[in-house]
Amino acid sequence: MIVLHRLRSLLRWLFRRKNVEQELHDELQTFVELSAAENIKAGLSPEEARRRAQLDLRGVEQTKERVRTRRWGAWVDEIAQDVRYALRGYLRNPGLTIAILLTLALGIGANTAIFSLTDALMLQWLPVDKPEELMQLKMRPADAKEPFDTFSYDIVRAIAGQSRIFDGVAGFSGAMTFNVGLSGNMSKIPVTMVTGGYYKTLGLKPALGRLLNEEDDKKDSPPIAVISYGYWERQFAQQAGVLGQTVLLNGMPVTIVGVSAKGFTSPNVGQTSDITLPIAALPHVNPKAASLLGPGNFWLRMLARPSEGMSIASVQAYLASVWPGLAEQVISPRWSPDRRKAMAAASFVLMAGGTGWTPLRAMYKKPLAVLSAIVGLVLLIACFNIAGLQLARGFSRQRETAVRLAIGAGRGRLIRQFLIESTLLSFIASLFGVGLAWVSSTVLVNMIMPAFPISLDLTPNLHVLGFTALIAIATGILFGVLPALQISRGDASSVLNEVARIAGTRSRLIPGLVTLQVAVSLVLLIAASLFIRTLQNLQNLDMGFGHDGVLLVTFEDAAKFRNELVDEIRGISGVVSASISTNTPLSGGLWTEPAVPAGQSLPQRDTAIFIGAGPRYFETLLTPLVSGRGFSERDSADSAPVAVISEALARRYFAGTNPVGQYISTTARVGPVEPGKARNVEVVGVAKDTVAAGLRRDAYPAVYVPYVQLKGTFPLTLEVRISGSLTASASALRAFLQPRLPDTVIEVRPLSIQVEGAMAQERVMATFAGAFAVLALMLACIGLYGLLAYDVARRTKEIGIRMSLGAHQKTVIANIVKSAAWLLLLGVVVAVPAAWAASRWVQSLLFGIKATDPVAIGEAVLLMMLVGFAAAYIPARRASRIDPLEALRHE
Amino acid sequence: LKKLDIPQGTLELMILTILNREPLHGYGISQKLATLSHDVFQVNPGSLFPALYALEEDGKLKAEWRPSENNRNAKYYKLTAAGRKYLDQHRDRWKRVAFAITNVLEGA
Repeated sequence: MIVLHRLRSLLRWLFRRKNVEQELHDELQTFVELSAAENIKAGLSPEEARRRAQLDLRGVEQTKERVRTRRWGAWVDEIAQDVRYALRGYLRNPGLTIAILLTLALGIGANTAIFSLTDALMLQWLPVDKPEELMQLKMRPADAKEPFDTFSYDIVRAIAGQSRIFDGVAGFSGAMTFNVGLSGNMSKIPVTMVTGGYYKTLGLKPALGRLLNEEDDKKDSPPIAVISYGYWERQFAQQAGVLGQTVLLNGMPVTIVGVSAKGFTSPNVGQTSDITLPIAALPHVNPKAASLLGPGNFWLRMLARPSEGMSIASVQAYLASVWPGLAEQVISPRWSPDRRKAMAAASFVLMAGGTGWTPLRAMYKKPLAVLSAIVGLVLLIACFNIAGLQLARGFSRQRETAVRLAIGAGRGRLIRQFLIESTLLSFIASLFGVGLAWVSSTVLVNMIMPAFPISLDLTPNLHVLGFTALIAIATGILFGVLPALQISRGDASSVLNEVARIAGTRSRLIPGLVTLQVAVSLVLLIAASLFIRTLQNLQNLDMGFGHDGVLLVTFEDAAKFRNELVDEIRGISGVVSASISTNTPLSGGLWTEPAVPAGQSLPQRDTAIFIGAGPRYFETLLTPLVSGRGFSERDSADSAPVAVISEALARRYFAGTNPVGQYISTTARVGPVEPGKARNVEVVGVAKDTVAAGLRRDAYPAVYVPYVQLKGTFPLTLEVRISGSLTASASALRAFLQPRLPDTVIEVRPLSIQVEGAMAQERVMATFAGAFAVLALMLACIGLYGLLAYDVARRTKEIGIRMSLGAHQKTVIANIVKSAAWLLLLGVVVAVPAAWAASRWVQSLLFGIKATDPVAIGEAVLLMMLVGFAAAYIPARRASRIDPLEALRHE
Repeated sequence: LKKLDIPQGTLELMILTILNREPLHGYGISQKLATLSHDVFQVNPGSLFPALYALEEDGKLKAEWRPSENNRNAKYYKLTAAGRKYLDQHRDRWKRVAFAITNVLEGA
């Protein structure tokens, strides 16, 4: 309880200072008077009695001070004093203070922004029960290097049955979109398909009704769904009556049985999910996708909660002992014996799963690490910069410091004063920084995946605020400690005596700091130059198709689309050409099959990308045909199967001959032939290579086949080439299609978004590395400018004397520019090897350029030099205009 | 007789002992200490008041302002329950320490 008493006393001293001081004063006065009264009684004259009494007390003020410093928490008081002192100092110099605050706010804000994205993407726990216990299961087949993380429905159920090691196992799909609602008034809603153990494993409670359980995930169970809290709010105004209501998914009725807890939608980080369905209900809502439940489809990720006391090793050991038996039942019997054997010998890998899953993690791990390093360096430059400013300011404070030393302030107290001043600034700046970060991390999120909406909660949370506080303290110490040590050095008397001399000396620290700033910002400029060139290289890449002016509409259910619609669309004004295909370049989805020249035996693995395409596909996408013909209405479901192959395939299999008229053999289901068997298809044309499989991949062999000749269900995307405004044509297209296809949600998107999505990572790097490099360059040049301006001001008299003795204006300018050149050159000498050393780390993020590209480095050096000299010229000119008479009268 | 310095750490104990009998103000405490120690100890106000404030801060003492014997308003210190408990614990310890020191010095 002592602490409470002390706290109360501390608060009284802080907030009732006047009262406490008055009381102390009164008490001591009473002491003096009582003592004096006693002395009078002893026979002394009143004056003498009083004098003695006061003597007894040995100074009222000293006693007061002893009371003040002896009490607990006196340091809080001293710090409060220091803070008041610091604030007064800063308010006296508002221009400098604002400049420092702005620099720091940018530096700290940039770090916070990158950290909050890292936090949201990589570090945040799922809002579930004890997320730290959850493990994600991965599997490494005997013949594979890397484990995979998706499993078939059967495997998940077999693993979920291992109740000796697991309290629960959850299988879940990625976000799938369903058309929800009544015909003519449908919307696309993200849905997650889950196994029966999903909610139990995650330990979630319903906000209303009940959640899904094992019973619901059984064949022939009535189709039910749980909706998310957010969907309940938006769609059902939080009415309790939602329970038992029916929603139509793809027109099929599903009963809502519950609402999940607020804040949770699915373990897929960044993707919301409004409706959660048991996997057993999939055949009901989407009969065409029923095959997903088969043993050959690996599409579910697994999170498991090991039983209490189960270590990762013991779980792995147990799984290793039971898996071969389980594999016998759950691995597709249609797979080859080799493949089945490799699967049965697979080992399980357990990784922390409490942070959920997102493909963005693998994509952005490296870029975020590089960006973190970049913003860290920006902040470092800011620190050097401000340390320089503080040093310069500190020299003008030398007299004040000396006086404080002389009247007995310890060196420690002075250093503390400096550190308090600097951390105070960095804390104020970090408040702005957090706001800045909030805005900029939202911009960043919108850039990382333009083709898909991502929902990440970027409101500053405790992690982020803690991180910001930490870097604010580190920053404050970093830029405060140098000036503090430098300035509080030396003893009081010598400083006081030699103030004049010391004010004339110049610290070697400041040029050192400027050199470091130049060096670090040059490293950042080189990085930015590399990333910008990478983006340019991708943008200038010959993709093999024209991505501007093309609109896409994807239909998950191709059966609903009638081919005659394409002809009608060609009639809409502004439409140049229209076609259909199974997938479009860079959509992310690929269909691959084995394909070789007829007569060769088909390999086990897939060797080519397949694309089912309609008539005029090549005209619409502007993919040039190198020889032969494209598809037309002549290629019908009943005509002989034909194919157009890509140049890469032609090069590989038909080198030196004309492939047109020859045949390829494939298992793809083309033409009126039995499934599961290889058939021969006639090559009728050769098309230019495209980057369909990914911008950074070499041209991959591709086979185009007529869409109408495909057997089985395939997705369908309509592509329409437009002349004129994309937005106008997009709404015209939607207005045309929606009434004709009431059971589908028509979403029109430009192909260019897909292309941009493929270079999102590079765009993020180019934009942010560029912006931060410019910021760093500015800071370094301000540092250089500040140093030279300070130098000129300090040497006004000297320059005046030189000029009066006949020094030319040009000589004066040359002298100052020369000293700037030395600093810049030194910076380059430090930076280039550093950039060289760091280059290997970023090479994998680059495209079409080496990290040690001399042109990129040279460009950055040149830019640094140019801007550096520009910054140096201003103080140099000012020096050359010094009027010798004025300068000499100065003192 | 030359006055002696108060041994380290015993001033608090003596203040508490004095206040255990009756509430007193600062001057009263210093007088009482002189009397009780037969003028061996004389506490300097520069030590007394910091000690009093520290004890009050720890909740071992409570203070109130009331008129003194010659009608001046004075700050009277009073022992709290926590102060009494502390005193009981530490007085016995000090007695044993003092007894032991005496024994050692007299070579008994």
